[in-house]
Amino acid sequence: MAREKEKRNSQAAEIWRRFRKNRTAVIGLVILILIVGMALFADLIVPYSKCIEQVGADRLQGPSLEHFFGTDELGRDLFARVVHGSRYSLFIGVATSLMALVIGAILGASAGYFGGMVDNIICRIVDIFLCVPPILLSLAVVAALGSNMQNLIIAITVSCIPGNVRLIRSVVLTVAEQEYVEAAKSYGTSNARIIFRYVLPNAMGPIIVNTTMAISDMILSAAGLSFIGMGIQPPSPEWGALLSNAQTYLFSAPYMLVFPGIFIVLSSLAFNLVGDGLTDALDPKLKD
Amino acid sequence: MSRYVIKRLLYMIPVLLGVAFLVFTILSLTPGDPGTIILGITADPEDIAALNAEFGYDQPFLIRFFNYIKDIVLHFDLGNSYQSRQPVIDDIMARFPNTLTLAVLSMAVSSIIGISLGIFSAVRQYSVADHICVVVALVFASIPGFWLGLMLLLLFSLRLGWLPSFGASSLKHFILPTLTVSMTSAAGLLRLTRSAMLETIRQEYIRTAKAKGASGRRIIWKHALRNALLPVVTTLGTSFGASLGGAIIAETVFAMPGMGTLITTAIRQKDIPMVMGATLFLAVLFSLVILVVDILYAFIDPRIRVKYQNGGKKRG
Amino acid sequence: MKKALALLMTACTCLSLGLTAFADSTDAVLVPNEAELTTSAEGKTDLVIAVDADVDTLHPSDFSTTVEMDVLNQIYDTLMYMNPDGTHDPEPRIAESYEISEDGLDYTFHLRDDVTFHDGTPLTSADVKYSLEMYMDSAYQGSQVTGLSSVETPDDYTVVCHLESPYSPFLLGVCSVHIASAAYAESSPDTFATEPVGSGPYKFVSRSNGSNIVLEAYDGYYRGEAAIKQITFEVIPDSATMAIALQTGEINFATIEPSVLPQLQANPDITVAEVASSGFTYVSMNLEKEPFDDVLVRQAINYAIDRDNIVSVCYEGEAEVNSNMCAKSRFGYSEDQPQYTYDPEKAQELLAEAGIETPYDLGTILVAEQYSNLATVIQNDLRNVGLEVTIETQEFNAYISNLTSGNYDITALEMTLEGDTQMLEMAYTTDYIGTANNARYSDEEMDSLFDQTRTEEDSEAREALFDQILTKAQEEAVYAVLCNPLTLFAYNSDLNCPEIPFEGLYSVYDFSWGEA
Repeated sequence: MAREKEKRNSQAAEIWRRFRKNRTAVIGLVILILIVGMALFADLIVPYSKCIEQVGADRLQGPSLEHFFGTDELGRDLFARVVHGSRYSLFIGVATSLMALVIGAILGASAGYFGGMVDNIICRIVDIFLCVPPILLSLAVVAALGSNMQNLIIAITVSCIPGNVRLIRSVVLTVAEQEYVEAAKSYGTSNARIIFRYVLPNAMGPIIVNTTMAISDMILSAAGLSFIGMGIQPPSPEWGALLSNAQTYLFSAPYMLVFPGIFIVLSSLAFNLVGDGLTDALDPKLKD
Repeated sequence: MSRYVIKRLLYMIPVLLGVAFLVFTILSLTPGDPGTIILGITADPEDIAALNAEFGYDQPFLIRFFNYIKDIVLHFDLGNSYQSRQPVIDDIMARFPNTLTLAVLSMAVSSIIGISLGIFSAVRQYSVADHICVVVALVFASIPGFWLGLMLLLLFSLRLGWLPSFGASSLKHFILPTLTVSMTSAAGLLRLTRSAMLETIRQEYIRTAKAKGASGRRIIWKHALRNALLPVVTTLGTSFGASLGGAIIAETVFAMPGMGTLITTAIRQKDIPMVMGATLFLAVLFSLVILVVDILYAFIDPRIRVKYQNGGKKRG
Repeated sequence: MKKALALLMTACTCLSLGLTAFADSTDAVLVPNEAELTTSAEGKTDLVIAVDADVDTLHPSDFSTTVEMDVLNQIYDTLMYMNPDGTHDPEPRIAESYEISEDGLDYTFHLRDDVTFHDGTPLTSADVKYSLEMYMDSAYQGSQVTGLSSVETPDDYTVVCHLESPYSPFLLGVCSVHIASAAYAESSPDTFATEPVGSGPYKFVSRSNGSNIVLEAYDGYYRGEAAIKQITFEVIPDSATMAIALQTGEINFATIEPSVLPQLQANPDITVAEVASSGFTYVSMNLEKEPFDDVLVRQAINYAIDRDNIVSVCYEGEAEVNSNMCAKSRFGYSEDQPQYTYDPEKAQELLAEAGIETPYDLGTILVAEQYSNLATVIQNDLRNVGLEVTIETQEFNAYISNLTSGNYDITALEMTLEGDTQMLEMAYTTDYIGTANNARYSDEEMDSLFDQTRTEEDSEAREALFDQILTKAQEEAVYAVLCNPLTLFAYNSDLNCPEIPFEGLYSVYDFSWGEA
């Protein structure tokens, strides 16, 4: 047991060593840590009350010492909204990607592992979902269920599942053909145990990379939905909502587009860079 | 080969039925009825009920679905829009060319950018140029589409006055929307091409070729590229799907009459025949593109062709 | 490591520089491109109008949106023209004159004999009769001819409308009926709604779905050919894009959102016109639910909302504060009817009097997505007097179904009860619960007052009745009306636009290019 743990540790160290060599990925990681830190300690940076407090007289003020990022059209402090917005945007990104991952893993692994009828049914359902452009699917789901945080997450997750199922299925297919899986099967190990103990862990590399990058896509999807008018409930300060709200003020208050925009781009970029770094780090073939 | 194509075409039928059922179900869950939406809340409730009855909207869900499918199968009729009372196919045909043009142009531009920069990056792995390519592509991939579109509008339409800000009446109108869609989607292809290239470059036969003294450039173009492009081709189908998705946002920003704006408006108005018709149209298009890509793939990769000739079964 | 770091820093700086460049350059952006705009107005005879949605139909009576009405108003002419604020006399159009019988039951219109449709056929009383009957059967615009029971045509140029009982707002309604060609409707039912033939100043040329509609001046128009020879209505749903297109000169005339106003006002090449309308923004409380059944609570909410702040933050100042459902320039309004002003202390006193212990949870404020800012400001105002609400937004049509079925606690929205002051009955009478009476207010006295207004012919007596109605509505604080938003038009300064009438129903016939 101890040896296995040690082996895992050394594996992690090896991955970290390779990851560290990719400098842009490390910078991505630093940005990511900063943004996650901002989300975790948002209340310490600026109290939540600041981002719903409206001072009509101070509306549409440009950046100043009092309001670092200026104020919005209702006279709310944009800095507080951007800082607290990180919680909403990151939460949406992470929650949807994880949910899509779990559902995608269950369906994809079953399809890949069992094959035959199970595979057929799952693949056909996935094909159906793949035929509808994701943003339209999300839009229809939000229109049907109403737009609140929970439904928004469902809508975005639904549109992300089919891709995940396909990916995980194909990865599992290659792993399932490996000798150790065959061996486990011949020992009579239960299917669930084989999938979760042997197949999925060995298919983890591409899945982790995909999920990391998916978070970035999900943050952007949520912003896109806000743009078509199907975003999160006010007065919650999700970044996409801040941005789409700002676009009609692009002439009189361009800073309203700039600050939330920088944060969306930075966080999305950070996830992408880290994902990119992980691709190389987790793929022994790309080792130089 | 033709047997395979026919099989694939037949197989589209259940998928399309599934799409129809999925979309129909979601739309039926949407609150509100077309009568109220069209006539407004100040209208006489009797008029609203009469209009709903005219649309057949007073029928139960499954019967409406069955009738809808029946009209398509028996009469090739996608029905009339609730809003305009005109055949939905007219609206679709008026807008489809715009969306198709935008999606094809965007896919072409993003492929050219993505694949060429991907090769360039791979050949010069870990150089400054490689880093710039990757980071810049990722930055664009991290920008919300509508925001990028708006910035392009400000720069090229308002400030420089070079390009029109809305519409789809000439090829010039497609430049900004195409840039918006392709710049945000090129990163995926760049990354894929780069890693595929890196992988092939490391393969034995490339090393052998190198050892035999073939020139670097020759190796790249002759051997590595062909093999590296295989996985890239397979993703072209999905990247076409992504272009369609991006087109929906771009159409809204650039006021372009396309399928995206058509469907988003119709979803809001609960114009079920319009949403259904347009979605099915896109689904057929998407399925055909995937099929073409698969056939293309078979031509490039002889191993797959053999597989098809054996009736698509895996060789034991 | 250093190299890569430098690289990334450069990328980030470039990005932020690019952004701030946009930010800083707005002054530069403000200056429109000279080449585009200096196209001299001289010799210019076409006009491009931006609309925010495509039309679904161009049917003369079966239409529902403002955009459809704006397009149809250029194509179809009416019997008479009447400014809908109810304070002007009707102007002759197709009808040269009219009479109303003593008993108020017969309206006789005398038509001009030189009016022709765009296909050259003369317009006669048969076409008017056909059009009026088409409106009577229309589920869309039938309310314009409320009260009409039959139409007679004693000769080719005389039309008599018979009413069942006297209904004084009839004249205004009948003056908005588009007169269509009976012959065309019968010969070409397929294209009647898609390729309209009217007798107005402009004839239909072409339509490209989702994109534009082109009209051309009709050379046989009886008031003389229009100065603007060609109109193109371009569909631009996004308000930011529309503002950009106005500044590049691609668009000459548009209805705009208040948020882009400062930019357009600052541009010397663009003129902005503010037009009053009877549309109103209001808070509706569900009177069937507690605590909104208590008049004290409703009054408290009326006092708690800072209407001036709402006008400034949600409408950029482009709205008139008014707690009365009747617009100030409209028939029936009087300064003597009670107005609610911002008074949070009074609101708190009223709540205490109603036995409400603050903080008190009022439930959910349900709004359509486009009113989320409004809801956010109201939430803030209510919180200041100790009333908590949570905001829930819904897609507009889903919201409407919850609104009309009474499936909400409190809400805020904009509404237009077009036409006559009579339309206010939709907001206050029992018959309209489930449609436009969103508060679900039911009061026998109110119902009977509205019954009397319908048949009262005498203008002063009608005014007295409406005064009673509106005073009662205000005292009982049935709704919390906030303001009347102005309709904003922005157009190229070289375009001569006479004052756009109440409700913003413009006629391009009155426009021309030239030095203003």
